[in-house]
Amino acid sequence: MMPVTGGLPTGVRQRPQLEGWMLFILEDTINGILMGSIYGLAALGLTVIFGVLKVINFAHGSLLMVGMYVAYWAVILTGLHPYLALVIVVPVMFLFGYFLQDIIIKPIFKAEKDVREPITVIIVTTGVWYILDNLSLLVFGPQYRNIQDNPLRGKMLEVVGMLLSVPKLWGFFAALLTAVAIYWFFQKTRTGRAIRATSLDREAASLQGINQYKVYNLAVGIGTAVAGIAGVSLVPFYNIFPSVGVLFDIKCFIIVVLGGLGSIGGALLGGMIIGVVESVGAQFMAATWTEAIVYGLFLVFLFLKPSGLFGVKYEW
Amino acid sequence: MRERNIWWKAYVCVLAFAFVCPMAFLVDRPASAQPKVVKVGNILPLSGPSASVGQQNKYSQDMAIEEINAAGGIKSLGGAKITMFYADSESKPEKGVAEAERLINTEKVHLLTGCWNSAVTYPTTAVAERYGIPFIVPVSVADKITEQGFKTVFRIAAKDSWWTRDQFVFINDLQKEFNMKVGTLAFVYENGDWGKGFAAGWNKLAEKGGYKVVLDEPYPSTATDMSPLAQKIKRANPDVLLLVSNAADAILITNTMAEYKVKPKAIIASGGGHADPSFLKAAGKNAQHIFDIVEWETDVNKPGVQEINQKFKSKYGYNLAGESVDAYIAMYVMVDALERAKSLDPKAIRDALAKTKLTKGPAMIAGYDAIEFDETGQNKYAALVMVQINDIGKGMERISVWPKGARRTGYKPVFPIP
Amino acid sequence: MGRNTIRIAPLLLAGVIALGLPLAVRSATYLHILVLLYLYAYLTTSWNLVGGFAGVLPLGHAAFVGIGAYTSTVLSLQYGISPWIGMIIGGILATIVGVIIGLPTFKMRGAYFALATIAFAEGIRVMVENIDNLGPFRLNGPRGLQIPPLKTGFLNFMFATKEPYYYIILFMLAGVLLLTYAISRSKLGHYLVAGGEEPEAAMALGVNVARAKLIAMAISSFLTAFAGTFWAQFTLFIHPKSVMSLDISFEIAFIALIGGRGSIAGPVLGALLLRPVSDLSRIYFGAKLPGLHLIIFGVVLILVMLYQPRGLQEPLTRAYRSITKKLFGHTEAA
Repeated sequence: MMPVTGGLPTGVRQRPQLEGWMLFILEDTINGILMGSIYGLAALGLTVIFGVLKVINFAHGSLLMVGMYVAYWAVILTGLHPYLALVIVVPVMFLFGYFLQDIIIKPIFKAEKDVREPITVIIVTTGVWYILDNLSLLVFGPQYRNIQDNPLRGKMLEVVGMLLSVPKLWGFFAALLTAVAIYWFFQKTRTGRAIRATSLDREAASLQGINQYKVYNLAVGIGTAVAGIAGVSLVPFYNIFPSVGVLFDIKCFIIVVLGGLGSIGGALLGGMIIGVVESVGAQFMAATWTEAIVYGLFLVFLFLKPSGLFGVKYEW
Repeated sequence: MRERNIWWKAYVCVLAFAFVCPMAFLVDRPASAQPKVVKVGNILPLSGPSASVGQQNKYSQDMAIEEINAAGGIKSLGGAKITMFYADSESKPEKGVAEAERLINTEKVHLLTGCWNSAVTYPTTAVAERYGIPFIVPVSVADKITEQGFKTVFRIAAKDSWWTRDQFVFINDLQKEFNMKVGTLAFVYENGDWGKGFAAGWNKLAEKGGYKVVLDEPYPSTATDMSPLAQKIKRANPDVLLLVSNAADAILITNTMAEYKVKPKAIIASGGGHADPSFLKAAGKNAQHIFDIVEWETDVNKPGVQEINQKFKSKYGYNLAGESVDAYIAMYVMVDALERAKSLDPKAIRDALAKTKLTKGPAMIAGYDAIEFDETGQNKYAALVMVQINDIGKGMERISVWPKGARRTGYKPVFPIP
Repeated sequence: MGRNTIRIAPLLLAGVIALGLPLAVRSATYLHILVLLYLYAYLTTSWNLVGGFAGVLPLGHAAFVGIGAYTSTVLSLQYGISPWIGMIIGGILATIVGVIIGLPTFKMRGAYFALATIAFAEGIRVMVENIDNLGPFRLNGPRGLQIPPLKTGFLNFMFATKEPYYYIILFMLAGVLLLTYAISRSKLGHYLVAGGEEPEAAMALGVNVARAKLIAMAISSFLTAFAGTFWAQFTLFIHPKSVMSLDISFEIAFIALIGGRGSIAGPVLGALLLRPVSDLSRIYFGAKLPGLHLIIFGVVLILVMLYQPRGLQEPLTRAYRSITKKLFGHTEAA
């Protein structure tokens, strides 16, 4: 084994009493779950799109970024509480996603009807990613923005000697509520069931009279709207800048695969797992290594259980 | 089939374009044959993660050049005006290198300046050296930039080993002034060239000074959540925390540390992100009592500082920072050298730069008193100033505290953090 | 005019132009751009063996570039070994890594495969970024390695002017194109294409699809690593984000896809069209409107995908064939 130096576990050397130590792990785990639920919320939008359209939407991070900017401007211009701004953000994002799919991506689907893996959609979404990110750089400028005085900023909840971040707690509940709402939508409503049918078998569904393309539009619209909700959750404590989406993009994919294609619970759970690994792992090694661990975990899952925690393995 | 015809024509056009493009390279743009103009190439990060500081540098350089051209340009060259060419490095070394090549070979610049990111400056100076074009480095601090044995590199800012040295001298002075001992240190730094360079210096100095290092933590500048880091710092419980951060992570770390109530006795930052005006705006009260080491501050007690800062502020909306001042100074150093060189020959300009002994003029809004380059091209007199962020009635501002001679009158630094 | 003459003539013409270009193009900047263009054409053609013929979408090839670059650089900086030898060793290392990656991932389809290659490539990049010393080898983590431009000469793979680099990459490109042509005509080539389009049918016929894909991956990674060494010797500075980043993997894949993967001319055509767009728009717009060149790139990407999803080589080949038909009368079904 070759000795490796530089950047490997240094970390904390002191050893407080056992209770203190266990308290720390608990605090980190909870913090990881909270932050992870927001990751999961971001990934939820992606899993809906991925699950229905069966393509990698590389622009998802950029959609999140757009969601954050929309939320930012909504709050700045109207002075609303960030979560009230959802009233503006959700419809705007839904329409944005709907028309993105309708105008740009649908033509490719139509052309590639016989090809099993719509690879070109992947490329097109990357083009969309480049365009969105740099357009916002041009229009909004490179500076980092944040909503300085919003009612959630910097608030901490003290529980049993642990400090929990209030905005992240809100995000956690937003994630849960959204997940439940999406689940209900897909299980109980007619439109939702139509979407699920299409995702399982395109041809059979269209034989049933379901307009395949309308379904796709809706799915992307919903996925984007969820990304908007994730954006709203982040905006109270996070920085907003044109390339903020890139950071989340790959993480979302890892979570979606971890959790299982199209699985709602899986997205949330996957997000929390990533969050906990980052949070707890960072205590034992430099944060720069936790990135590698997340990738490693991802690869392990890909090989051993590609369907993820809850998903159905898709052969296409 | 008719539909196809249109596309066919389009494709023939595309085909033509695809073949014409490389042919376009055959057409070499002729060098401009005009009255003497000094062409200066500037490589800066104008997009990407360092875009906002790149813009600030550009603004301060533009302001200087406006002043210089308005005052008659380079008199010894018959009033030659200066033209600035800007190139975007995107903070990527290979882009910086490519742009340097282009500026030298196609635009035929007489001088180069840049590139802010040490990682970009380092290989780009090699390009200038190859062609013999003088290269003024206003900001990049990595030691090795002036240690490559090149003859054409001239750096205005202090090297990073001086920064780290001064940070430790300051810690020493703090202990003496407040009669309080500092035993444990924590190092938290961005995981790039800059941060790692500082960390290496810190570790050596800590060993020499007999301090105990309780945390040595590189972090990825792109991290999305700083809570684990804040927790780690809190649990390590250092007396003094030393930071090297870019703007975004500086903001995130400061706010997160405030949320988790992390309070070492002192926090010492290293310029860069902490000196960026957006940091103060975004971190606000959470930044109170942080010490930051920079080459310059708006309250430096030198003639012309207030006027020039006001002029910049009214044009662009925020104060000058240490790095933009370095860029501003670099322009005046360049002008001084051009006046003495009396020629646009790169070797003459290079030699004039090497003999620089600047003690007067707008360049002297620097915190120190002279600019002179040693044999490696390093500005011998570059000195640093430590500031503390505090609110003494006019809102959160940066107040010079060290060296004692530079301290703002009437201000006593706050140590430890209450 | 015989069929073969018609096919070979334009290639010969292109070859002559390419060989003579440095005599006409005096500017070092444009030579630099041309060298990068050929380099990307080389990279995309090597990628094509897996991404085109084998029919999957590998998005992590930058890892092999990085392995090649680091291997030859570390060996030459620390042990004075000629970069040419380092290049071969780098290729071997890359092949081993490529096969390791390929074994488990080729069983996956489509999106999973792409994601797996991304994860592998990023994982390797993160590791190199964090490791300063791997045993006796100094990798220098994120600070990268700089090659001092001091001793020139063929053995050191170091030249003061751009022309030698130009010819080296031109030969590498020609070599890899010939290799691709040879493979496309060989049994391996046919196994790959069959395995890519109808794997079940191919396996039913007794084709060992998995093995064919692995061989393609091995060759592809071996060749890609060479490009890494070339890059290191050309730019004289490497660090993880510049030789192993996701951006590079994406750019390679997308150029090949736009040009037309699965064909021999496609990747080269893609590079010919896209690289100048990227470089020129950065030069002319980069400073005034930062990021505009990426927007243009994105729009070009989308337009091409919307109207010619199988790559630009398809309509170009058709146009070419109709022109030759008109000029030289009809040939046997081409």
